[in-house]
Order: sequence, then C-alpha cells, then structure tokens
Amino acid sequence: MSLVQDLRAVLGDDRVLEEPVELYLYSRDASLMQGQATCVAFPHTTAEVAAVVRVAEAHGVPIIPRGAGTGLAAGAIPIDGGIVLSTTSMNQIELDVENRTAWVGAGVINLDLTKEAEPYGLSFAPDPSSQSACTIGGNVANNSGGAHCLAEGATTSHVLGLEVVLAGGEVLVLGGQAPDMPGLDLKGLIVGSEGTLGVVTRALVRLLPIEADVRTLLLDFEELSAATRTVSDVIAAGLVPAALEIMDQKMTTAVENWLRAGLPCDCAAILLAEVVGEPEAVEAEAALVSRIGMQNGARNVQVARDEEERAMLWKGRKSAFGAVAQVSPNYYLHDTVVPRSRLVETMEEVQAIADRHGLDVYNVFHAGDGNLHPLMAFDASDPVMLEKVHRAGEEMVAACLARGGALSGEHGIGLEKRDMMRDDFTDIDLDAQARLKEAFDPSGLFNPAKVLPEGSRCFDFGGVRREIPDGAWV
Amino acid sequence: MTEAAGGGPRLQQKVAPPDVNALVSVLREASASRSVVQVVGGGTRQGYGSPPPFDIALHMTGFSGIEEWDPDDLTVTVGAGTPVADLEAELSGRSQTAVLPEVPGASTVGGVISAGVSSLRRARLLGTRERMLEVRLVTGDGRVVRGGGRVVKNVSGYDLPRLVVGAFGSLGVITSMCLKLWPKPAAAATVAIGDAETAARVRRPLAVLEHDGATDVFLWGTPEEVFSSAARLGGEMREGLHWPADPDGRYRWSLRLPPASTSEGVSRLPATWSHLAIHGAGEIRAASDAPDGAEDLRGWAEGMGGSLVVVEAPRGGINGMDPWGRPPPGLEIQGRLIAHFDPARVINPGRLPGGL
Ligand SMILES: Cc1cc2nc3c(=O)[nH]c(=O)nc-3n(C[C@H](O)[C@H](O)[C@H](O)COP(=O)(O)OP(=O)(O)OC[C@H]3O[C@@H](n4cnc5c(N)ncnc54)[C@H](O)[C@@H]3O)c2cc1C
Repeated sequence: MSLVQDLRAVLGDDRVLEEPVELYLYSRDASLMQGQATCVAFPHTTAEVAAVVRVAEAHGVPIIPRGAGTGLAAGAIPIDGGIVLSTTSMNQIELDVENRTAWVGAGVINLDLTKEAEPYGLSFAPDPSSQSACTIGGNVANNSGGAHCLAEGATTSHVLGLEVVLAGGEVLVLGGQAPDMPGLDLKGLIVGSEGTLGVVTRALVRLLPIEADVRTLLLDFEELSAATRTVSDVIAAGLVPAALEIMDQKMTTAVENWLRAGLPCDCAAILLAEVVGEPEAVEAEAALVSRIGMQNGARNVQVARDEEERAMLWKGRKSAFGAVAQVSPNYYLHDTVVPRSRLVETMEEVQAIADRHGLDVYNVFHAGDGNLHPLMAFDASDPVMLEKVHRAGEEMVAACLARGGALSGEHGIGLEKRDMMRDDFTDIDLDAQARLKEAFDPSGLFNPAKVLPEGSRCFDFGGVRREIPDGAWV
Repeated sequence: MTEAAGGGPRLQQKVAPPDVNALVSVLREASASRSVVQVVGGGTRQGYGSPPPFDIALHMTGFSGIEEWDPDDLTVTVGAGTPVADLEAELSGRSQTAVLPEVPGASTVGGVISAGVSSLRRARLLGTRERMLEVRLVTGDGRVVRGGGRVVKNVSGYDLPRLVVGAFGSLGVITSMCLKLWPKPAAAATVAIGDAETAARVRRPLAVLEHDGATDVFLWGTPEEVFSSAARLGGEMREGLHWPADPDGRYRWSLRLPPASTSEGVSRLPATWSHLAIHGAGEIRAASDAPDGAEDLRGWAEGMGGSLVVVEAPRGGINGMDPWGRPPPGLEIQGRLIAHFDPARVINPGRLPGGL
C-alpha cells in the first residue's frame, strides 16, 4: 500500500491530507522558507502518533512535527518530502492545582493554558508574543521565551515531564512532578531539540501563582542607547524585573499606526518595564526603575493606571511583528543574544550594518536578557534586496558572536541558522551534538536537516546530503 | 586498596592534572587501558550511587577559580574544582549568588553539578540545572567539548549544559561552566512558624524548610516587603538567612515527591530518621543510623511517582537495596548517550541507575 493509504488505515481518510494546496500551506511556517510535504497527518492520540511513526519508518519517510507553524527559524519545514505531523488535535489540559502543575497536550495553544489556569490563581510563565497562536509542543521544541522569561526563565525551566514518541514508535513518559528523577535528564534534552529527537505528545508543566501586585512602566527616551543603558543599569543594580522590553521609534510608530495603543512616537525608544510581587516590593522596585531611567535621561515615566491600560501596553509590544507586516510586504528578523552589559555597543553596530546596506531596521527586543530581534522590512520579490537582507543579517549575527553572544536566544536554529552553527562551535562540539541526536534517532527519521549542519557527525561523510534547496528562501 | 571486580587488589593512583591538556591525556590513557576513573571534587558525595572500585582518583584541584565574572551581566564562568563556599563568598562581595547549596562543606561547583544537588531555595529560584548556561568538558575518550554559551538565554543546539547536571560525569569530566547569577536583595529574614501551612500567608517565599520539628520561612526582598511578610507570618523573626545543615548519619537519603506530598512524606519517615524538608519543591533530605523502614518508604514514594535515593551508606551496601530504586524509563537511550561520550566507560561507571 502507499504511504497515504497506510496512514489512512491508521487515522481514517479525513485526517490525512494530500491536496496540493493543503500541502503548500503545511510546507511553510513563519520563516521565509517554503518546503514540500508528501502529506499531512492529524493524529488525535499518543497511540496514533506512535502508529504514524511506524508507518513512516516502514516507508522510509521522515516525520516533521508541527504545531501552529509560527516558528521563525524554518524548523517545521519539510525540505524534501516527509509527513508533516500536526499536533493541533492533541489539546487536552489536566490541571493539578495542589501541585501547581498541568499535563498539557502538545497542540494546546499557549494562551489557552494560561486562561485555563487563571481561575485557580495560576499562570504559565513562558509568554511568547505569538502566544495566541503557538502551541505548547512548539514552545517545548524551541525552548521558547517571552517577555516574562527574564525573571522566571524560558520554557525549559517550566517543563517537569514529557510524554514523547520516539523512533520505533516507542512511547516514554519522562520526568514527573517529583524533582530530580534519577538518571540522565532525557526530558531536559528533548526541550529545545526542535522536533529532531521525537514527537512530544504531552508536557507536564509547572504553573506559578499569579503575583499579588504588578506595576507596568513605560519610559521614553531621546536616544536608543539611553534605553539600553537603563536596562543594563537596572540589572547591574541587582534588580531582575519581570520584564524589560525595548522598542525603537520605527517600531513604535508602526505599532501605533496599526493599534493606537497610546505609545509615544516622538521619541527614539521606549522601554516597557514590569515589576511584580508583594505590594511593598512593587512600589520600591518601580521607583528604582524610574530613578535609573531618569538618570539616563528618560523624558517621561508613565505607570499603567489599571489593568486595561496595562493590557494595551502589552498588546502593543506583542503585536510588533504584525505591525511591520502592515507596512511592508516582507520582514526578516534575527534572534541573537549578547551579554547584557554589551547591549549599547551592539545596538549601535546593528544600526551601522543596516545603514551600510541601506536597509530599514526596526528594533523590538527582550532587552533584559540581551536578546535582540533586529527586523528588516523589505520586498522579497526584489532579489537584490533579499540578498542584502541576508548579508546584513549574517553580519548582525557575527557582530553578536564577536561580543561573546549566541546564535539564537529563543527562536531556534532550524534550517535558518544551522550552517552558522560552525561559527559558534568547533567540529568536535558539533560532533558531540550529532551524537546526542544519534542516540535517540539513529536513522534520522525526525525532522531531518535541522539544527546541525551537514557532516556534523565527523564520521558520516558518506551519508545522504540534504542541502537547503536554492530558492527555498522565497 | 579496594577489591577489584575480578577479585584481586587494585593499585590506586591519585592524579591532579593541572590543565585541560593533561586531563585529556589522563582520560585517553584510562580509556586505552580501561582503567576506572573516579572524579573527586570536594569528596563530599563519593558514596552517592554505589561507586565502583577504581584505579585512578582524579582530583579537580587544577581547575579551580573564577575564569570570568562581569557582575553587570549576572553571569560567572568558574572552574569545576572551585569550592562552592569560595565562589559564593566571592559573589557575595557584590551582593550576588549562584544559588548553589547553602551549606556546601567542601563541595566543589563541578561536584554539586555532577551530583545534581540543589539549593534549599529551589522552590523559589529552581534547581541547579537552571543555573547552567555553558559547560566545557572532556569526554572519556579525550575530546574537549563545549555546549551552550555565556549568555542568559540560548537555544543554539542541544542543551548539553543542563544534561550534565546529575550525570555523575558519565558524559565527561566537567572542567568549567558558566552560571546564571541572582542578585541578593537588600533585606533577608528567617521566621520560625508553627507549621508548614502557615507559610501560605506569603505568596512566594524564598524557602520553607522543616527540620527537627521546627519550620522556618526564609524571606528576601526589599526591607518593606520582608518586614510586612514576616509580620503576616507572625512567628519569631531573625534577620538574615539562617540555613540548616543537611541531616547527618551513617545513612543519608533523598526522598523526592510531588510538592504537595511533602508533609505526608515527612510524616511517613521512620521515627528515628532526622530530616530537612524543602516545602514547595518535594525534596526531603534525611539521615538515619540504620536502613530499617527504607524499603516501605521507597515503595510508597515510587507509587507517588517519586523516589527514595540512597545518598550515602556504609561500605557493604544496604542489604541489596539498589541506591536509586526503580530504574527510570529510557535506560536504553541513556546507555547509548553515555557510550557516545565515554565509549570505554571509564568515568564513574555504574554510578547511574540501571548500572550505567
Ligand atoms: C509574531 C510572532 C511572534 C513571536 N514571538 C516569539 C517570542 O516572543 N518568543 C519566542 O520564543 N518565539 C516567538 N515566536 C516564534 C514561535 O512562535 C515560537 O518558536 C513557538 O514556540 C513555535 O510554536 P509553534 O506551535 O508555532 O511551532 P511550529 O512553528 O509548528 O514548530 C516549531 C518547531 O517545533 C517543532 N515541533 C512543534 N511541535 C512539536 C511536537 N509536538 N513535538 C516535537 N517537535 C515539535 C517543529 O518541528 C519545529 O521544529 C514568534 C513568532 C511569531 C510569528
């Protein structure tokens, strides 16, 4: 029987797609790349996922796990065929209020988990800006971050256990509510592995009590460097607020034109800072952030008066990428990190690179973590422009690495940055990484060609090479 | 001298390589001659996980000291052989902490990480794995490998830095690591309360510890916050954080439970055991002079999805009791992972669950 027939025998006819237009849609994500899927499968249960894995193995066809497809590093792209395994039907949530945990289906949307937990005074800390669309499975696979990961850590700090389907259709439940499970922490290794080790079907996550009080501040500056310096100074003063986010003037203007969130557009940069905790602490810490901002030349410090105003400020911040989509046919952003003390000089360098290439750069970023997202708006139908954008992007990443930074802070490596891994790691480091993959997935069934450059395993030169096809960018 | 697995006496050698190159040679030679290497940090946890007879005692004193510390970044890169106490003392000078165990004795940073031992502040600031940003290690066959980076947020490749936590050197001998730091706020206090339930009056305390019949809530933050929280708790307040030491005895145990079962775990300990329970984290450290009652306790803990681990026992073992208890799932993959990093299996072999 054919691959599709075998899959339909397991899932039923309507849960396996193979129409060209459907394949087209499921062969892309939020990156600029386009792949080619063989078919799309929608399992509802863990047992069905295991059955799909066995069918794939029998046919020698790879599996590309997929959540909502909001990934920006082309992690969910099938580059030369394969079964796109969509988790969107796996969306159960089981709360354990006493232990402050929840078992969550991989296809649950991040914001839905937060809404489910809220009536119990609990919340899920990782809040990517895409939280109204992205899935927990995608968050786990990418170890996603969010504005509120500054104090609480990214997804990995909130995953206590995982149910996964591995090669051979083996189902494992790793970790649990109790701490320090004996043995190697396989669960921790699967977090951030971008779907290359297996399919996550459920995650056991930690929930945090909602804080007693919160204060959201909006500071505006005449220089971007004054905003970044404020962030560095706040951290250096020994305060780790819940969030410290910066938007530059271009970005603020784009958001304001789209949403009317009440953001000041006549300044070079705004800093959104949030402090949480007991009321007394919030008071004192908000005062400290204001003071440091003023010392660095903040023109105004506005404090959100109520929940509505606070929600609006956050909506403005989290809609930044969407706002650029309103003003430009395409955008491309790099997600890189530098040590926080080097933010000011790095931002200057990023601007200089953009200027050199004659590109428009918008900045919105998780400043408190040193996590940049320089975003270039352009028209991808112009090949010269596209080439410039790529060149500039590479230079920006190199500028961050040169300052002791990293390739990606939260979006992942995927296909996008896999060949840049050589700029950060030695051949021996990459070989060690390839061995981690091999221990789980010796035949390369899961999400091939992602994360590690070809030939990372020093001894696999004879293997089939999967180059990124020419033109995959558009 | 100890008994070799094959019967005869083993000649033990002590080495303390001064640098990475020397360490590479030691491990290459050990792999070639299949000599068992025991890695010694502070030597405080050598009983953990039934250590095998060994040929080479590898001391990490050559990898000691702070390599890079920019206080403004809240990160520090430190040699594996650095005593935890020395590191924390240094960081304290700038009101920072690596959130490692509070009463570390002679433990080294590398040892604490390899054994996966966490801070008493783990319910609030999470365990030792969350400190790990970058790791450098030498594999059993002498490859020098780095994973992660010296920034607080990083998803470049597989998460090797966190994987080495609790791995007992099975992926390699750690030479250095970069850790995420935390600022120490202006005020701190220890408040004695009647029972663990009272602690719920504070939303997110730094720690709630129950030991020797007493329960203490540890607070830190702005002075206003600490004093108002202490007032709400109502107990006797002492300024500063007065951490209890781990319970000590011939046998030392680690009971791990779902957090909400911590009180029940305490009530189920045999009456003669001393304990230190970390509420909110589900970890109970215990000690006893005899192993009686441990099997029952383990059976209950495993039924709850937890475990009872033997941290230290007199030589000769614990009447056939496995140090770890029920083997965790995924042992086959764990075995394959280890084979990739220590193919001749010379570093602390057999110390992990399942005899890995
Ligand atoms: C507007 C916008 C804003 C964003 N903001 C943020 C942000 O603030 N912070 C941040 O970190 N990211 C952000 N992202 C990136 C993206 O949303 C996250 O990476 C998200 O976690 C991806 O989830 P997804 O469900 O869309 O996954 P997909 O894009 O479908 O997949 C992402 C990767 O995860 C793998 N995967 C998905 N599900 C599973 C599974 N069940 N098992 C195994 N592997 C799986 C895929 O194979 C792929 O490699 C943003 C993206 C957009 C478009």
